[in-house]
Amino acid sequence: MHSLLRAARPTVVAMTYRVAMDIGGTFTDVVCYDERTGAVVASKAPSTPGDLAEGVFAALGSVVADLTEISFFVHGTTQGLNALLERKGAKVLLLAGQGAGHAYHIARGNRTRMFDLRYRKPVPLVPREHIVEVGGRLDWRGGELTALDEQAVRGAARRALAEGFDAVAVCLLFSYANPEHEVRAAEILREELGERVLVVLSHEAAREWREYERTSSAVLEAYTGPAVRRYLAGIERRFAERGLGVPVHVMQSSGGLVNASHAMRRPLQTLLSGPVGGTMGGVALARLLGGRRNAICVDMGGTSFDVSLVMDGRPDITSEASIEGFPVLMPLVNLHTIGAGGGSLAYAEAGALRVGPQSAGAVPGPACYGRGGTQPTVTDANVVLGRVDPEWFAGGLMSLDVEAAHRAVAALAGQLGMEPVRLAEGICQVANAKMAQAIRTITVDHGIEPREFALLAFGGAGAMHAVFIARELGIGEVVVPRFPGAFSAWGMLEADVRRDLTEPHFRGQESLDGPAMATALAALEASALAELAAQGVPTARRRVEHAVDMRYEGQDYTLTIPLEGADESAAPDFLPRVAARFAQAHTARYGHATPEAPVEVVMLRSTGLGTFPRLAAASPEVEERAAVTRQVVFDGVTHGTPVVRRSALAGELAGPAIVVEETATTVIPPGCVASVDEFGFLIIKVAP
Amino acid sequence: MIDPVTTEIIRCALLQAAEDMNATLIRSSYTPVIYEAKDCAVALLDRDHNVLGQSSGLPIFLGNLEVCTRETEALYGRQVWQEGDVWVLNDSYIGGTHLNDVTVYGPIFVDGALAGFAASRAHWLDVGSKDPGGSMDSTSIFQEGLRLGPVKIYAGGRPCRDLHEVIARNTRFPHATLGDMRAQVACAMTGQRRLAEIVLRWGLETVMAARDEIFVQTERLEREAITAIPDGVYSAGGFLDNDGISLDVPLPVNVTVTVAGSDMSVDLSDCADQAEGPVNCGAAQAVAAARVAFKLLVSGEVPLNGGSFRPLRVITRPGSMLAARSPAACQYYYSHLGLLIDLVVKALAGVLPGKAAAASYGDSMIVQFSGTDPRTGKLYVSQEATVGGWGAWDGGDGESALINSVNGDLRDMPIEVLETLFPVRVHRYELRPGSGGAGRWRGGDGVVREYEFLGPTSLSLWFERSVTPAWGLAGGHAGVPPRVTLNPGTAGEREVLKVNALPVRAGDVLRCESGGGGGYGMPG
Repeated sequence: MHSLLRAARPTVVAMTYRVAMDIGGTFTDVVCYDERTGAVVASKAPSTPGDLAEGVFAALGSVVADLTEISFFVHGTTQGLNALLERKGAKVLLLAGQGAGHAYHIARGNRTRMFDLRYRKPVPLVPREHIVEVGGRLDWRGGELTALDEQAVRGAARRALAEGFDAVAVCLLFSYANPEHEVRAAEILREELGERVLVVLSHEAAREWREYERTSSAVLEAYTGPAVRRYLAGIERRFAERGLGVPVHVMQSSGGLVNASHAMRRPLQTLLSGPVGGTMGGVALARLLGGRRNAICVDMGGTSFDVSLVMDGRPDITSEASIEGFPVLMPLVNLHTIGAGGGSLAYAEAGALRVGPQSAGAVPGPACYGRGGTQPTVTDANVVLGRVDPEWFAGGLMSLDVEAAHRAVAALAGQLGMEPVRLAEGICQVANAKMAQAIRTITVDHGIEPREFALLAFGGAGAMHAVFIARELGIGEVVVPRFPGAFSAWGMLEADVRRDLTEPHFRGQESLDGPAMATALAALEASALAELAAQGVPTARRRVEHAVDMRYEGQDYTLTIPLEGADESAAPDFLPRVAARFAQAHTARYGHATPEAPVEVVMLRSTGLGTFPRLAAASPEVEERAAVTRQVVFDGVTHGTPVVRRSALAGELAGPAIVVEETATTVIPPGCVASVDEFGFLIIKVAP
Repeated sequence: MIDPVTTEIIRCALLQAAEDMNATLIRSSYTPVIYEAKDCAVALLDRDHNVLGQSSGLPIFLGNLEVCTRETEALYGRQVWQEGDVWVLNDSYIGGTHLNDVTVYGPIFVDGALAGFAASRAHWLDVGSKDPGGSMDSTSIFQEGLRLGPVKIYAGGRPCRDLHEVIARNTRFPHATLGDMRAQVACAMTGQRRLAEIVLRWGLETVMAARDEIFVQTERLEREAITAIPDGVYSAGGFLDNDGISLDVPLPVNVTVTVAGSDMSVDLSDCADQAEGPVNCGAAQAVAAARVAFKLLVSGEVPLNGGSFRPLRVITRPGSMLAARSPAACQYYYSHLGLLIDLVVKALAGVLPGKAAAASYGDSMIVQFSGTDPRTGKLYVSQEATVGGWGAWDGGDGESALINSVNGDLRDMPIEVLETLFPVRVHRYELRPGSGGAGRWRGGDGVVREYEFLGPTSLSLWFERSVTPAWGLAGGHAGVPPRVTLNPGTAGEREVLKVNALPVRAGDVLRCESGGGGGYGMPG
C-alpha cells in the first residue's frame, strides 16, 4: 500500500468524511474529503480480484480509521463488467415471443468490418438451446392480438428450476408499448422460482423499441446481475459490521448515483461505472471554476485515450452504446476511446512512421521498463526527450531503464534515416496529433468548436501530453486536477443521485396531443420523485428535469430537446415552440435544418436528480522544496528545465518546466504559464 | 525532402478529415438508407482528383467518386471551379451506379487557389422512377427517374433555387430528399474546412510533398502483397439468374485474374451484353467492384488513398452489362457486381487459402412494398435487404444471418420498427435451418421472414442467385438457394423471386427464405 498524501487524521469522532472509491484492474483508488476542514486526501491499494472487498477495506483503512465517521460513501464497481469480459456471467434462460426467438442470434445482421470474408458476430451470451418461445402477441400500439401463453411461461420456469438457471430474461415484442404480458410472465416466474433466480424484464431494463437491442440489454442485465448482487450484498453487510452508518452508493454508467439496494434491483446501470467518474469530475470542475462551463475531459493511460465532454456544465450523455459488441440501451456518459497511450508502439512501414494503435501492453511494456521490450513506445520517446524524471517514475515505484529507451528509439531512427532526438519528438507529435483528432471527431459530432473548451487532463499520462494536444486544437487553457491518477474517484464525490425514466411516445406532428403528453410527464415526475425519496434524498434536494426525443418525420436519429417543465406541453403554442427549439438544436449539431418539414416526438425522458452538499475550496499547504534542473527537448532545442514538485508549487510557473507528483507528470513547454488556483487545480495558459 | 513525422501527421489528418465528413453526412441524413444502411461514401480529393482521404459506408463505392470531379472538369474546363459552388451528379454512365446514388461535390479554395475537392455519394430514397423507390422491371434509364448531369446546386455559397425546385418536383418525398441533399452539402463544407485547415497549417507545397510520399508508400505495400501471390492466370465463372424481364435467360459473368510479378489485372470482358432489364452498370462501378475484391484478398490492411490500386488493372468491354451505355437500365446495378467479387475470390482461392472463403448467399434480396397507409392516409415505401448465410473456410464455419458483401454495415429492419412505420405484421423472423452448405466446416444459415400485409399493397421483389447458389470449396457443399412463397399452404400458393409492383391484398402472406453459405471441405 502506498499513501499518496499526508492523511489528516481525525481527532474528533463525528460523521465528517465523504469517501469515494474507484476499483480499477490494478489499483483501487480512494479519495476522502473532510467536511470540516475541506482537506482532500487520496490513497490507493492494490485491487484484489479474488475478493474485491479486501482491496476496498485496505484502501479505505489508509484514509479513515473509523468507518462510523463516514458521512457519505460511493464507489464504482467493476463486478458486472468483469463477469462479462471474462465470460463468467450467469446461466440465463431467455423467453422470447413466438416466431421471434432467433432475434438475439440474428442480431441485426450487419458487418462492422467491411473487408473481412470471415466475419463472425460476437458469440451470444445465451445459446439457442436456452431460448424459449412463448405465445402471446401485441400490435405496434400495445393492443393484444393473442393472449399470453401462461402454460408455456410456467413450463419455462420449471425448466429454469430443473436445469439450474441463475437468471431468466424476458423480452416480448412491443413490451415497451404495453408491459402487461411481461409483467404477467414475471408473476408466473416468481410463483415458480421465488426470489432466488433473478428475473429481468426487457421493458424495465430498457423501455425502448427495437427487439434485438432491448433483448441484448435484458440479457446483459441477467448475465451480469447475479455477480453484482452478490458483491453489493456482501459489501453492504461487511461495511455495516464495521460500523458504516450510511448507505453504500454506487456510480451508474449515466454519471449519477444510486444506493446499493436499488443497484441490486437494476444492476445493468452499474456496468460501466468506473470511467465515468472522471467526466463527473469535469462537471464539478465546470461548477467550481467559474466561467468554464465547457470542458473536454481526456484520460490517457498506458493503452487507451478516453475523451468525454462537459457542455454547459452537464455531462454528454448518450442513450445507447455497445459493450463487447453487444448493444445496450441505457443512459450513459459518452466516452470516445482510441488506442493511444504511453505504451503505443512506434514502427516503420514501407518507409513511413506509424505510432499505435498496437501497444506494448504491461508485458513487455515500454523499453524503459527494462522488461525486455525493444520496440520504442511513446513513453520511451518522452524519456529520450528528458520529460520523464527517473526519480519520480510511476511515483517512484518503478526504476527506469533510460539506456533501453535510447537504444529502442535509436534503432527505429536508423531505419527511418532520422536523428534519434528528432524521431523521439516526432513520435510524441504523431501521438498528440492522433489524440487531438479523436477530440475533433467527438466535437464535430456535436457541432461544437474545441477552442471554446478547457482541456481537463487526468490519468497517468494525460498531463504529459495535454498542452501539446491543446495547441493542436487551439485550446487556450489546460486544467490538471489534484491527484490526476485518482480523479475518477474524486469525480464520484461530486455526482448527484440520478434516476432516468423513459416512456416511448410515438406521435407525428398531426397527432401530437400536448395535454396528454403533460399527463404522461407528470406521471413520470411522480415516479422519479418517489424514487429519489426511496433513495433518502431530502425533499428540498430533489428535482426532476424533462425532455423529449424529437426528429423530422422519416429521420431515425433523434435529438433530445429539454422542456421547461412537465406541463410545458399543455400550452397552446407548444408545437411551434418545441419545433423551433428542435430546428435550433438541429442547426447547431448538423449545420442545417428544414423548418418547413414536419417533426415527430418519439420518447419522453424524465430525470430525477438529488444533490449532495458540495465540496468547498481549500487550497493545499505549500511545501518548501527547491527545484532541480534537467535537460529537456522542446522543438528540437534543449532547455535547462526546472522540475518542481506539485506540493511545492506557489504563484506562477513559466515554462519550460515540469511538475511532478506521485501519479502524474505535467509538462509545461516554453511560452506557457502554470498557476495553482484556490482548489488546488493546476491551470496552464497555453501559448499558441 | 519531407520528413516521416510530417508525412504521417498529414496522412492521419487527411484520413480524419474524411472520417469527419462521413460523420457529418451520416449523422444529419434523413433516410435510413443513408444513416442505417450507410449507402454512402465520401472522399477528399486533391486538385488533380487523387484521393487524399476517403471513408466508405458501402464497399462498392470504393474509389470512384473522383470520376465525378474529373468528368465535370473534362466537360467544362478547369476554370469552371469557383469558390462557394457545390455540384450534383447522378448520371449512371459516369458514376456507374443507379440514379438514386447522387454525388455532391465542391471545389476547395485556400487563399483563392484551388486546393482540392470534397465529394460525397448517398442513396436518395426516391428520384422519381416510374415506381416508388425504384423499379424491378425498367428497360431504360428514362424510366428510372431524374438524371442530373454535372449541375450546380449552390453558386457562390447561395442555394440555386431553380434546381432545388426541379429536384423537389421530381421526387415523391421532397422533404427527405432535400434533407439528404443538405446533409451532403454540410458534408462537403466539413471537407472544405478540414482541408483548408491542413493546407493553412502546413502550406500547400508541404501537403503535396506528403501526398506524393504517402502514395508511393501505399503503392509499395500493395506491390509487396501482389508479389507474394504466385504468378498465373486464374479464372472463375457463374450466372445471374436473369435480367428481371426474360426470367428464363441466365446471364453469364466470367472473371480472369492475371498475376505477373507485382501487377494484377482483372479482365471482365467475358460477360453478357448489356441487358434489357435493370442489371447494368457504368464501367466506373465494375472497376470499383474489382477493387473491393482486391481489398478483400490482397490489401485489406493497406491505407486507402490515391496511391491505392495503381498495380491493379481492370478491363471491361463497352456495351457489356459491366460497362453499359445509354439508355441501358441500371436500377439493380449491383447484383452482378456482388457475383463478380465472389468470383474473383473463387478464382484466387487456390493460391490464397489463408484469405479465401466459400461463397455467401450473394445478393441484397430486396423486399420492397408501397401503398397508402390505412392508418394515416399517407404514401409510404418500405425497402429492405434480407440477410443470409456466409461461406465457411479452412478452420471456421460461415456466419449465419449476415448482410451481403456489397451492403457493408447495413442492419436489418426490427419487427417493432417495421410494424410501427408500415401497415404490415411479421409472423416469423428466424434462422432457416439446414440452409448452409455441408462440409468439414459448415456454411452459415439464411433466414425465414414472413410478412402479412394489412392493407392493399404494391409488392416488388428482387431475389437472386438461384442459378448460381453459394458454392462450397475443397469438397464442401453449396448452400440452399433462396425461395420466396406468396400465401404458403393455401390454394393460391405461388413461388416468385423477382416481381415488380404486384398488387397484394390485406391478409396476403409473403414468406421469404434467403440462401445459405457454402461449406468448406468434405463433410465428415
